[in-house]
Amino acid sequence: MPDPLLMKYAGQPGREAIAAYLATGGYEGATRALKELTPDEIVALVEASGLRGRGGAGFPTGRKWRLTPKREGDVRYLVVNADEGEPGTFKDRTLIEGDPHQILEGVLISSYANGVHQAFIYIRGEMFLGQERLSRALAEAYGRGFFGKNILGTGFDLDVVIHRGAGSYECGEETALLESLEGRRGEPRVKPPYYPAVRGLYDRPTVLNNAETMAHIPHIVRLGVDGYKAYGPPILYSVSGHVMRPGVKELPIGTPLREIIFEHAGGLRPGRAFKAVFPGGSSAAILTAEHLDTPADFDSLAKLGSMLGSSAIIVMDDTTCIPAVIRRTIEFYRDESCGKCTPCREGTIWLSQILDRILEGHGRMEDLELMDNVAQQMTGICLCALGESVPPALRASLRYFRDEYVQHIKTGTCDVAPAPVAAGGSA
Amino acid sequence: MSSAPPATTVRLTIDGREVVVPKGTTVYTAAKQAGIEIPTFCYHDRMAPLGACRVCLVEVEKMPKLATSCTQEAGDGMVVHTVSEKAQAGQRSILELLLINHPLDCPICDKGGECPLQDNTLKFGPGQSRFVEVKRTYRKHLRMGPTLVLDRERCILCWRCVRFGEIVAGDDALQGFERGYHSQIATPQMAPVHSKFIGNTIEICPVGALTSATYRFRSRPWDNRAVKSICPHCGCGCATTLNVRGNDLDRTRSREHPEVNDVWLCDKGFFGYEFVQSPERLTAPLVRKDGALREATWEEALDRIAGALRETPADAVGVIGGARSTNEDNYLLLRLFRGVVGTNSIDFRTDTANPLPVSSAPWGLPGSIADVERADAIVLVGCDLTEEYPIVWLRVKKAVDRGARLVILNPWELEVARWATHSLTHRWGAEAALLEALAGRRDAVEVAAKSGAPADRLRGAAEALAKASRPLVLLGRTAVERPDGAQVLAAAEAIRDAFPAAQIGLLRGRANSGGAQLLGLVPDMLPGYRPIGDADARAAVEAVWGRPVSEAAGLTTRGMLEAARSGALKLLYVVGADPATDYPDAHAWEEARRGLGLLVVHDLFLTRTASSADVVLPVLAYAEKAGTVGNIEGRVQRQDAAVRGPGTARSDGQIFSAIAERLGTELAFASWEAVFAEVAALIPGWAEDARMAPPRPAPVAAPAGAHDDTAPGPAADGALALVVGTRLFDRGTMALRCPGIRGQAGEPFVGLHPDDAARLGIVEGTLCEVRSPRAALRLAVRALPGLHPGHAYVPRGYESAPASVLQDERGPVAVTVRPAGGGA
Amino acid sequence: MTARVLSGGTLAEIARLRGLYPRAQSALLPALHAAQDQVGYLTPEVMEDVADALGLTTTEVSSVASYYTMFFTKPVGRHKVRVCTNLSCYLNGAEQVLHHLCQRLGVAPGETTADGQVLVEAVECLGACEEAPVLLADATRHPRVTTAAIDDLVERLR
Repeated sequence: MPDPLLMKYAGQPGREAIAAYLATGGYEGATRALKELTPDEIVALVEASGLRGRGGAGFPTGRKWRLTPKREGDVRYLVVNADEGEPGTFKDRTLIEGDPHQILEGVLISSYANGVHQAFIYIRGEMFLGQERLSRALAEAYGRGFFGKNILGTGFDLDVVIHRGAGSYECGEETALLESLEGRRGEPRVKPPYYPAVRGLYDRPTVLNNAETMAHIPHIVRLGVDGYKAYGPPILYSVSGHVMRPGVKELPIGTPLREIIFEHAGGLRPGRAFKAVFPGGSSAAILTAEHLDTPADFDSLAKLGSMLGSSAIIVMDDTTCIPAVIRRTIEFYRDESCGKCTPCREGTIWLSQILDRILEGHGRMEDLELMDNVAQQMTGICLCALGESVPPALRASLRYFRDEYVQHIKTGTCDVAPAPVAAGGSA
Repeated sequence: MSSAPPATTVRLTIDGREVVVPKGTTVYTAAKQAGIEIPTFCYHDRMAPLGACRVCLVEVEKMPKLATSCTQEAGDGMVVHTVSEKAQAGQRSILELLLINHPLDCPICDKGGECPLQDNTLKFGPGQSRFVEVKRTYRKHLRMGPTLVLDRERCILCWRCVRFGEIVAGDDALQGFERGYHSQIATPQMAPVHSKFIGNTIEICPVGALTSATYRFRSRPWDNRAVKSICPHCGCGCATTLNVRGNDLDRTRSREHPEVNDVWLCDKGFFGYEFVQSPERLTAPLVRKDGALREATWEEALDRIAGALRETPADAVGVIGGARSTNEDNYLLLRLFRGVVGTNSIDFRTDTANPLPVSSAPWGLPGSIADVERADAIVLVGCDLTEEYPIVWLRVKKAVDRGARLVILNPWELEVARWATHSLTHRWGAEAALLEALAGRRDAVEVAAKSGAPADRLRGAAEALAKASRPLVLLGRTAVERPDGAQVLAAAEAIRDAFPAAQIGLLRGRANSGGAQLLGLVPDMLPGYRPIGDADARAAVEAVWGRPVSEAAGLTTRGMLEAARSGALKLLYVVGADPATDYPDAHAWEEARRGLGLLVVHDLFLTRTASSADVVLPVLAYAEKAGTVGNIEGRVQRQDAAVRGPGTARSDGQIFSAIAERLGTELAFASWEAVFAEVAALIPGWAEDARMAPPRPAPVAAPAGAHDDTAPGPAADGALALVVGTRLFDRGTMALRCPGIRGQAGEPFVGLHPDDAARLGIVEGTLCEVRSPRAALRLAVRALPGLHPGHAYVPRGYESAPASVLQDERGPVAVTVRPAGGGA
Repeated sequence: MTARVLSGGTLAEIARLRGLYPRAQSALLPALHAAQDQVGYLTPEVMEDVADALGLTTTEVSSVASYYTMFFTKPVGRHKVRVCTNLSCYLNGAEQVLHHLCQRLGVAPGETTADGQVLVEAVECLGACEEAPVLLADATRHPRVTTAAIDDLVERLR
């Protein structure tokens, strides 16, 4: 097990001070990049590192950078997605609060590599502490000449604006984020024809990367491809729910779920049995005990009809009422749906109404098939990933935990616990 | 625009049919071209695809998911299925989801019978719903002003109306509020919509969420008869369809004309029809007896007119009006008055005291309305475009979206100023100097000082114009209808001098002014824009008419009024005009009226002019007669009769024939088409939908700085320069009888810059006496932050407070504005 | 147009924000935050001021404001307590946290106390699942909230 790379210093007191960051080799990667490497060489490095975007879709970062047209004189932007909102995910927040310069250094290198002179970091509105630390870090980095005009005497200019969101999960979707950054409602744009790489912010070519992705970049430059890969390559798993030691676990990608949950997260509470897990945030299909030996990587989880997503692992033990958890999940998507496209707007409200009815004891057996069918109909026809995130967990729960739904329909309740009161409802 | 790549096509297969389309075409458009119908809601072919409703799903082979055909570009070799099980299942899913929260109150919904949601459900939707939950409900039937009714329960959130406001009209009238399943179309605090184009959102709404307050519950679509018509209001001549049920005129809809209104109308066009069937319409002739107008027979009325015409020398007879008649009516007017009576004192320009000669400054656009969107710089001078010619604004908006620079020069800020590259308000009267500065002939700093426009913006505007290759200068009445109007025109010509590709339009005229000008209802022109001094032209007319035509130019409206005052003009014949209200000097009109021996008026209503007439003849409105009308492009368009007129009302043309007959000349034509055919013999190219723009003489720019500014400067003791502006929604004779228009017009007012109001110690809303050397009006004060300081803005078009009582035909006036106090 | 509600300080801040972006409209969210910080919530007049300051229409500003959950268009408490109720917190007793807090303050979720001091909201994942159940009292995150911690918090907020 190698040392942590991204999390090595995260959370050390005073880490947001630039002196602390510099003392551990901070901005060395950026200095090397700007002084010794050409932008193309950096893109090649990142491509060779195998880094895949850490926002959820897992698109290879180097390839994304290559897709951005780099015509001489064209204005292009870098936008960092720090609008972390996928339920169960807290790795970006941990990095932003715990080691903000690591992200800023990534922004500097990535901007240089992509010929960008204006970058924006879109940070979640509710992330108050993160905003404060990131802003302080950025101000200090400006003061030391890592941002602004003629950075490190290389003639490279870069300005960074920290842009604060205002409460919308959908703004984590890349095109909705751009809309929001342009001062509009956070509704997604239709893709195709235009992807942000070609036509993004203000219709200009835009490199859009997740905050954690940025944190990887300095290490790739500093360590080289092989040195970086020796770390796993590393990935941050956010582990939470019914585990003894929840937290961000930096591990080699592909660590089996069982190891993550039972070793690194300290296992379940005493006397409890494992029931189910969301392996990649609430947008991923839930898995059961039989899947625990699956490596937590993109391909292995996809094979099970689930996904790594934002690598947020939410563990549920045997005190969990699955239909109630699914209802909470659907309510979340219902309330965060932007309302622009039909299937997401109408599908989420319909499904949540059916689930309400079942949990209130008015379910019908045909509701199970109906829910599965509505969810199946939604699949593949929504405008963006939010709507597409609704069916997997619901459908998996109907497959693996059908008996729990049946029990609610037949008896109006279940063994585990009275169904918790719906959030937002009367307390 | 960058140079287009070489045109290429792609070949694809849709439902087994091979289709070849230009590269860049969407699958939806390609399918449509092949006659294959795919359901849509959010997609509208005048706006970029949105991909929101998701109903246009198709299966594309080798693609993992269904694609929305409205956003999917057709690719070479692509194989598309619109009716495969998978595609149909996708379409069905969307329709099921759209219907779960739709109230299905079709029996009481105006849209029922012409509803895309109904139609698409029938063709592509599921046979039954599986939804057993409680539907989303909202408070029903929100009135969003005098014309729009919003039903949020019916809304399927296709966003068409929102995008219309953003993309087409640029007025942001309706927006999406809240989000998710609470998303709704609204205005802030559900205030009445602020728009001049909201009728279009009713037209493009694919459900009954947006309905018309005036058409509401009046008819079912299948009971409506559709009649082709032309909008009778501003002069753009937008193509419309009138819906008639029995003999009731129920609504006006837009009709597509790519060169004129595209598929849109303004709200005056949509909602300005109810005057036609107002109970206040005149139904029988009125003849003055013993000092009072009394109902009379047609015989009596026509005999009185014919008798007077026989007794009055031709040069003591004048005719004004014609802008509200058809071309065929107007042609008979010419044959009667020019041919039979023998006067050339004919003028359709009844609302100006300072008309420029048609030969040098014809009214209208240099090209088609559609051509406006192809200009790369547009300069609006003294033309309040959305108030005067709203449909032209939509073309300007498109031009701006394509990168054209918009420069606005006006004494008050226009509501579209936020779309302008440079919007300059300035002292009224400085237009010529400003135009010369734009043309690079005069120093911006010097002109800025004179005009009150900021020098940097003026310089910026000149630079913007200098970069243009196809500039278009549109002059409005505010700029040119002054004694020094010719100088403004000459300054505009200087721009044509500086930019040879520049074009100039004089945006003027209402209703059929374009046709009246084309037929020569002016003192010095013959049909087809030919000068009356042109012997060949006269000979051609004489040959058809069998009558001599005098070569001496007659009098303009102003000349006729002056002649009436001096006793030289005895008989004035007014055709569909109200100079007592509209001629910009009510005092001058009244004096002229006193000098007349006989005043004859054709009108729909007992206007101010008609009330003072000796003979009033009830005529048919536009919806009651067939014929052609011309617009600001010089385009000749046909309108059909939709409803029967009231009482014994006749068309103007029938009346002229009847008078001619009494004067011993047969002027009977079998039909309007026969008249049309005779016009065609006189005007080469005269045909339905032909556009015959007036010839525009080569630029004759005045020497730089030749003119002197004549507008009164800031007057002493608080006097302000009076500027009179046009409002789309007013309370004139017709608008008063259209609830949808009247309701939006509000009360008449005087607008002051807040600094002037503060200086005069007047707070907004105060009733004030606005006094000019001519007379006074009592008007409430409205603060207009966009008005250039030193001016008082009074809207025209309010029957109860005609701005013309303040005006002086000899030139600009200064007014004082003082709180009205109690008793005055 | 002169601002009707926003202070010179807030307008200066909005002007500064506007300068950060290539297009003025991008400053809308930060400008609304600044306006809300001054006034407490976004009244129609506040939104008109913001629209004027950025050259936007009031309709657009109101529409955007209505989209985001952190913007309030009605009066709300001076203090905002946001209780995460999403999965990890839900699995760790968020419902009980919310219930206890509401009971102590005598409000339902989404309501403000009668004295206008405290707004309680049930919110979605705050991205601090390792601290579940978690709540945000104004800008301060409270990890692993217990009923005793809620009682303390309520004392401090009142």
